[in-house]
Amino acid sequence: MNADRSVLALVTDAFGGYGGIAQYNRDFLNALTENRAASSITVLPRHAPERIAPPAAINQARARPRRLAYSAIALMIAFRHRVDIVFCGHLYMVPLAWLIARLKGARLVVQMHGIEAWPPPPHLQRIATEAADLVLCVSRYTRACVVGWAAIAPERVVVVPNTVTDIFIPGDGQELRAAWGIQGKRVLLTVGRMASCERYKGHDQVIAGIPDLVRRGHDVVYVIIGEGDDRARLEEIAREIGVAERVRFLGAVDQQCLVAAYRMADLFVMPSAGEGFGIAYLEAMACGTPALGLDAGGARDALADGELGAVVSETELVTAITRLLVAPRRDPAELSHALRARFGREIFRACVGMALAEY
Amino acid sequence: MCGVNGIFAYHPAANAPDKAELLATRDAMRARGPDGSGLWWSFDRRCGLGHRRLSILDLSDRASQPMVSADGKLVITFNGEIYNYSALRAELEAAGARFRTTSDTEALLHLYARHGVAMVHRLRGMFAFAIWDEIRRELFLARDPYGIKPLYTANDGWTFRFASQVKALLAGGRISHDAEPAGIAGFHLFGSVPEPFTLYRDIRALPAGHTQRVDAGGARQPVPFTKLAAILAEGAAHPAPVAELRERLRAAALDSVRAHLLADVEVGIFLSAGVDSGALLGLMRDAGQHATRAITLGFEEFCGTAEDEPPLAAQVAERYGARHITRRVSEREFRVDLPAIIEAMDQPSIDGVNTWFVAKAAKEAGLKVALSGLGGDELLAGYPSFMDLPHWRRTFGPIAAIPGLGRGARSLIRTLAPRFAQEMPKALGLLEYPRNWAGAYLLRRGLFLPYELNEAMDPDLARAGLRRLKPLRRLAENLSPDPGSNVGRVCVLESAHYMRNQLLRDADWAGMAHGVEIRVPLVDVTLLKTLAPAIPRLGPRMGKEALANAPTVSLPAEIVAREKTGFGVPIGAWMNSTAREAVFVEGGRPVESKGLMSRRWSRTVLHSFAKVGWA
Repeated sequence: MNADRSVLALVTDAFGGYGGIAQYNRDFLNALTENRAASSITVLPRHAPERIAPPAAINQARARPRRLAYSAIALMIAFRHRVDIVFCGHLYMVPLAWLIARLKGARLVVQMHGIEAWPPPPHLQRIATEAADLVLCVSRYTRACVVGWAAIAPERVVVVPNTVTDIFIPGDGQELRAAWGIQGKRVLLTVGRMASCERYKGHDQVIAGIPDLVRRGHDVVYVIIGEGDDRARLEEIAREIGVAERVRFLGAVDQQCLVAAYRMADLFVMPSAGEGFGIAYLEAMACGTPALGLDAGGARDALADGELGAVVSETELVTAITRLLVAPRRDPAELSHALRARFGREIFRACVGMALAEY
Repeated sequence: MCGVNGIFAYHPAANAPDKAELLATRDAMRARGPDGSGLWWSFDRRCGLGHRRLSILDLSDRASQPMVSADGKLVITFNGEIYNYSALRAELEAAGARFRTTSDTEALLHLYARHGVAMVHRLRGMFAFAIWDEIRRELFLARDPYGIKPLYTANDGWTFRFASQVKALLAGGRISHDAEPAGIAGFHLFGSVPEPFTLYRDIRALPAGHTQRVDAGGARQPVPFTKLAAILAEGAAHPAPVAELRERLRAAALDSVRAHLLADVEVGIFLSAGVDSGALLGLMRDAGQHATRAITLGFEEFCGTAEDEPPLAAQVAERYGARHITRRVSEREFRVDLPAIIEAMDQPSIDGVNTWFVAKAAKEAGLKVALSGLGGDELLAGYPSFMDLPHWRRTFGPIAAIPGLGRGARSLIRTLAPRFAQEMPKALGLLEYPRNWAGAYLLRRGLFLPYELNEAMDPDLARAGLRRLKPLRRLAENLSPDPGSNVGRVCVLESAHYMRNQLLRDADWAGMAHGVEIRVPLVDVTLLKTLAPAIPRLGPRMGKEALANAPTVSLPAEIVAREKTGFGVPIGAWMNSTAREAVFVEGGRPVESKGLMSRRWSRTVLHSFAKVGWA
């Protein structure tokens, strides 16, 4: 990528946003600046609930939640400034990004994340995607889906997986166990939203497996970090099957607490059938905690097809948890190192650079 | 004929390639290379290459593959033959290269070391290869301009795989069997799967005449290095007098035949009663090869009829001092072989059965290499399409250019004359498709036409397939730049489509199944370049007459005068009597048109692929 390039990034959220997509956008835009791949980057977010200061080379405009206002501002920025590359951070915005790229004669780079890109999208989104110069996908599964519905040369659809920040490193989790009063327990952990529209995350499957785990002699506690409108249903399930005292709903926590939670867990388990990638698996393993996920969607990538974490089918879940709880634990430092060798920040930066090398 | 394969885990997140997978893919191609096998790993085991060998040049173990350069920086796995190998070697040695073998494979390594990716412009021959560059840490793949040799790739975003066969890639066990709608729709449209598509979403052909690099950033876009249309356009820009045709063809065809005889094993020929193979046999003698073994297929059903080829072929063989072998094929043998034929078919095809039997006969005779007259009709305007397409463009083109008229007329005829529409389905497209050359060609070669696909396959799949395939646009792309003449346009369409996707693929799988390398001297870029200035003015039969007179001793007049019979019966009839659906037979012959019989057979072939896990 030519360094003398101006990038307009149309994103849902980036510097000031929660969740994997905001994190990915930040990582991607930071990588552009670290690679000196662009002379200027203008970011237009839809949302920025807790603004984070972007690096000096990045200018983030004020968030515009309303679609019409967002589109108008995007067009205005495009007309006032030079735009060589339009980076579109979400499939929903591709038609707008395509229009701007056409008007400005700019390259179009589209980012695909997870389930939004799995089924064939509406006509306009599809043809706009097909016109992209480069489509970046967070996982092989998302890529396969995009190549399946878009009539696009497969070479233009490239995987750049999520990365993990440097704060997620192994350490002592005993202090947190003591604070939460769960010393001596076998702790299972899930980190993820509990949204009624995202029940594929699989919290309910873990809760349903607790009685079986207890019968098998494991004194388990299941810690759930994250918020969402599905929490009441999950609490009800835990009560109904008599394991309410073994399930701890901790809600949203700050980053320091999150790192400590990963460290104190015996096993990170998220039997999700709908992960575009699953950054939480990376965070857990970066902290040295073994991770388990389903052989579905992008989770396979985060778990490296079973070489970093365990990849199982839904029916094997309880058996797999049991196996991992009794197996000798992999050295946390070694696991964290192996994880970073595949998904570390340097790797991510290099991947972004290589993907954009010809654009 | 060899089998090549490889796995490159280019992404840092990818697991190292699995040896079992590399071996499974390689050994699924055992028939392509029965004489040996090899395996190579990069130092960090991120790239593995495999090879199955059919020894033809330098039979020693020194020429085994994958072959590593003397300095260890380059590694190649190669399928094909480089016919200008001797000239290249002399040039390379003069420039200081030191050869350890007498194989053309080593010449490719030296060429890459000196010229990089531009090496492909120096090659004359049929080839599909991959070179691992240890310094650049990248794979370089290339495939010959006509697409004689196959090369399929699969890229999942982390790991890149390639092999000479689709089925071999699948045998590795790591590639999805998810269907590619464009491949299925393409098969229904043409009777073969048009490249770059295959039946599988995740497997693509490296297009003919293209190179591709795969580095840490993944598989880069294939880059074309030769275009048939450009060669013909260049020829049309500098036209040659018609009087020159005969002499140009004589010299160029002899040169091509001589080049194609390069081998350390005996080279035979598939001899029909047609002009193309007969002339090649004569030219083989002119090139200094005597007592060539020539194989002709005969069918009991044809004995004593004008369609029986062995008697005429025997005359040709005698004229050129060849040892003639007639191989009779019965319907019983066809039925016995049919499961193996389907098994050997790499991608579904409605053709190739003749080639299966002639290659089988070659193997029985102990031949490893045989020349074939394939390509003569494309090069020398031998097909009826060379007359039909210009005629249709002239007669129906202006009408078809009126928006909506063709489609309206088709609906009207279907309503008013449903029986005609059923019996002559393609006739309904005459007022619609000849609006351009691509449309006229689709009408001529189409097994089904796009408007019929909903009846041949699932409508949603058909819609998705047509959208992804874009058949008319894809055909039209072959005609850029404009070849400059009607003959040139049809020559490109036939060569870049029917010959590439059907005839050459059939020659590959059918020959491969018997460990026989089929060489095609009339499919040669050097020959095309020489003839290109004369092609625009080729009239009916002119090309074939010139070819018949190319050998010092011309072909017998009755061969030149004989009407083209081609493939159809009895194998066509056998195939259709084996088809899943009922065949209407009257007096021992099917009463349907050849086109309708082909449609019936196509469904049987596709069904057999579906049974083994596709879709």
